Amino acid sequence: MTTEIQNSNPTILSDADLPTRLRPTEAAKSSAYGSGLFASTLSFPGDSVDPASQYLSAESESEGDDLLEEPIDEQEIYDLISTISDPEHPISLGALAVVSLPDISIKPTLSNVPDSPLRTVTVLITPTITHCSLATVIGLGVRVRLEQSLPSRFRMDVRIKEGTHSTADEVNKQLADKERVAAALENGTLMGVIAKMLETCQ
Amino acid sequence: MAPRTNLTLLSNVTPPSLERAWLTAPHPTLPIIATCSSDKTVHVYSLTNFRLLSTISGGHKRSVRTSAWKPHVSGESVLATGSFDATVGIWRRWDAYGQAGGDGDAGSETPNGDGDDGVEKKPEGADDDEEEWRFAVLLDGHDSEVKSVSWSPSGMLLATCSRDKSIWIWEDLDDGDNNFETVAVMQEHEGDVKCVAWHPAEECLASASYDDTIRLWREDIDDWGQVACIRGHEGTVWFLDWEAVENVPRGADDALAAQWKERHALSGPRLASCSDDRTVRIWRRQPKESQQQAPFGGTGVPSILRPTGTDETWEADTVLPRMHDLSVYAVAWSKRTGLLASAGADGRIVVYEERFVTDAPTSDDAGTAPSDGVAPGPRTEWTAIVIQDGAHGVYEINHVAWAKRADRGRAEGQDEEVLISTADDGSVKIWALGE
Repeated sequence: MTTEIQNSNPTILSDADLPTRLRPTEAAKSSAYGSGLFASTLSFPGDSVDPASQYLSAESESEGDDLLEEPIDEQEIYDLISTISDPEHPISLGALAVVSLPDISIKPTLSNVPDSPLRTVTVLITPTITHCSLATVIGLGVRVRLEQSLPSRFRMDVRIKEGTHSTADEVNKQLADKERVAAALENGTLMGVIAKMLETCQ
Repeated sequence: MAPRTNLTLLSNVTPPSLERAWLTAPHPTLPIIATCSSDKTVHVYSLTNFRLLSTISGGHKRSVRTSAWKPHVSGESVLATGSFDATVGIWRRWDAYGQAGGDGDAGSETPNGDGDDGVEKKPEGADDDEEEWRFAVLLDGHDSEVKSVSWSPSGMLLATCSRDKSIWIWEDLDDGDNNFETVAVMQEHEGDVKCVAWHPAEECLASASYDDTIRLWREDIDDWGQVACIRGHEGTVWFLDWEAVENVPRGADDALAAQWKERHALSGPRLASCSDDRTVRIWRRQPKESQQQAPFGGTGVPSILRPTGTDETWEADTVLPRMHDLSVYAVAWSKRTGLLASAGADGRIVVYEERFVTDAPTSDDAGTAPSDGVAPGPRTEWTAIVIQDGAHGVYEINHVAWAKRADRGRAEGQDEEVLISTADDGSVKIWALGE
C-alpha cells in the first residue's frame, strides 16, 4: 500500500510509455482492416487528440483527488487491463485500443454520501469490429481482472462504448448482471478462455 | 430526510460463510435460517444465538443460489435448494434434532461448532444419518442455473426457475418416497427468470425476469398459463414479494380501515418488485368485478376489449421513494407489520412504511389514483423510515428477509420482528427495528 501512495505520480512514467505503445498499432490496425472500419476511422480523429485528452483527464483527476487514501487512479486501472490479451489475437487490449485511458473513469458511487468509500470504475470497451462476437468475453475478462485486483469497495461498470457495437445493449446487460457473471466464473470452459487472456497480466 | 426509526444490529451470524452468500431463508415456524452460499453449501443458523447449527453440503456442484422451506410440515423440516449446477435439491431433517438451538432460551446454548470449525456436526451421536440433513431427491430438468425456488402456500407445489428462461412447477406427491411430478413448464419469459414467488393464499405464481417483465401464472382447468404480463421496470426485475392478505396501512381509523379492507379484498394482495432500474414498485390487480361485468352505466364496452376468463389486469400501484443508487436485489414485505425493506448493490438497506393520507389530495401524483372504474380507495403514501448506508461495510447486499425475533433480547410476550440481510462477503446480519 505505501508504495502505491508514494508512487502517486505513475502517470508520468506510463504517459511516456503509452503513446509508443498505442501509435504503431493504431496505424497497423487501420491498414489491416481497411475500409471495414468505417466507424473506427471516424473515431480516429478523436484518438489523435489522445495526448490532450489524457492530459485533461490527468488534470481533472488531480483536482478531484482530494484524499490521500485514494491511490487507485485511472492509470492504474488502465495498467491492470491493458495487458489482457485479446481472445482472438495474441495482442494486448491496450495495443488494440480496445481499452484506452480516456475511456476509464472512477467516480464516487454514492453521490449523496460524501464519506462513502464506494467507487465506481467505468471502463468503456471499443471492440475491434462492430459485430465482434467476442465482445462479451472481452468485457467479462476485464470485469474479472478488475474484480480480482481491486478492493471490494470498487463497483465495476464495464460497458461497450456507444456506437461501436451492433448489440451493445445486449452485451452491456449481460456484463452488468452480477448473477450471470458469478455463474460464468463457475463455468470451466469460459474460465479457461478468460484465464488464457489474463495470462499476460503481471 | 431524517428517519425517526433506525436499525440496531443484534448480531452477525457466526461463523459466516467465507464466500458470497446469496440468500437467507427464515424457517416458517422454527427460529432457524438457511443461508445459501457460493461455497456450494447451505449454512443453517439459529436465530436464538446466531450460531451455526449445521451445514448442508454434498448435494450441489456449484453455488447454491436459493432455498425455500416447505410450509406446513410437522415433525420435520423440508428445504428446497436451487443451484448454479442446474439442479434443485430437497433436504429433510427431523425437528427433534437441533431443537437445542431452536426452541426458546432454556438450555439453548448447547455448544455447537465451538472453536473454529463451525462446519462440524454436533459432537455427540451426530454421525447417525437419522439426525442430520438427509438428501431426499434431486429435481433435474432445468438446462442452466437455477435462480429461485418457491413453495405454494399449501406446500403441495414447488416452483423453480432458471437462466434457461423456463419456470417449472413440481407437485410434491408426499408419498413417502420423495417423488415429485412435473406439473407444468412455462417458457414465455424472454430472458433468465430471476425470481418466483407464490401468492400468499392462492395458487397463483408471480415471476420476475431479465426480460424486464413480471408475469403471473394460474392453472385453468388443467393447464398452467400466463394470466398477466406486467411491464414497467426498465431493467432486470430481481426479486418479488407479496403483501400479506390482511395487511392494512398504518394510521387508519376504523372507518378508513374498513373501506380499505373492502377494496383490498376485491383486488387481493399487492405485489412488490425491485429492479436493476434502481426502483421498488408495487403492483395491484384490477378487481375482477370491474373487468368482467361493466360497472353501473358502463354498458357499451365491446367484449373484445375485455380480458378473457383467466386474464388479469395488473397496474402500477406506486413507485416507492427512490432511495437506491445501484441495482436493487431484494425486497421483503413483512407479513406481520406491513413494513417493506429493500437492499442492493449500493450496500444500503431501506425500510419503508405505508400510511393513510387523510388530508385533501395534493398535487402528489404518486400513482395512487386507481384507473379502473371502482370508487377510489383511501389514499396511502410510502415513506422511507430507515436508510442504513454501508449495512455490510463496502459489500453488496443480495437479500433481505423478515423473521420473528427469537433471541434473549426480545421483549417478553411481544411478537417482535428482525430483519436479516445477506451480503457478498458471506456475512449475514440480524437487525432489530427501533425508534
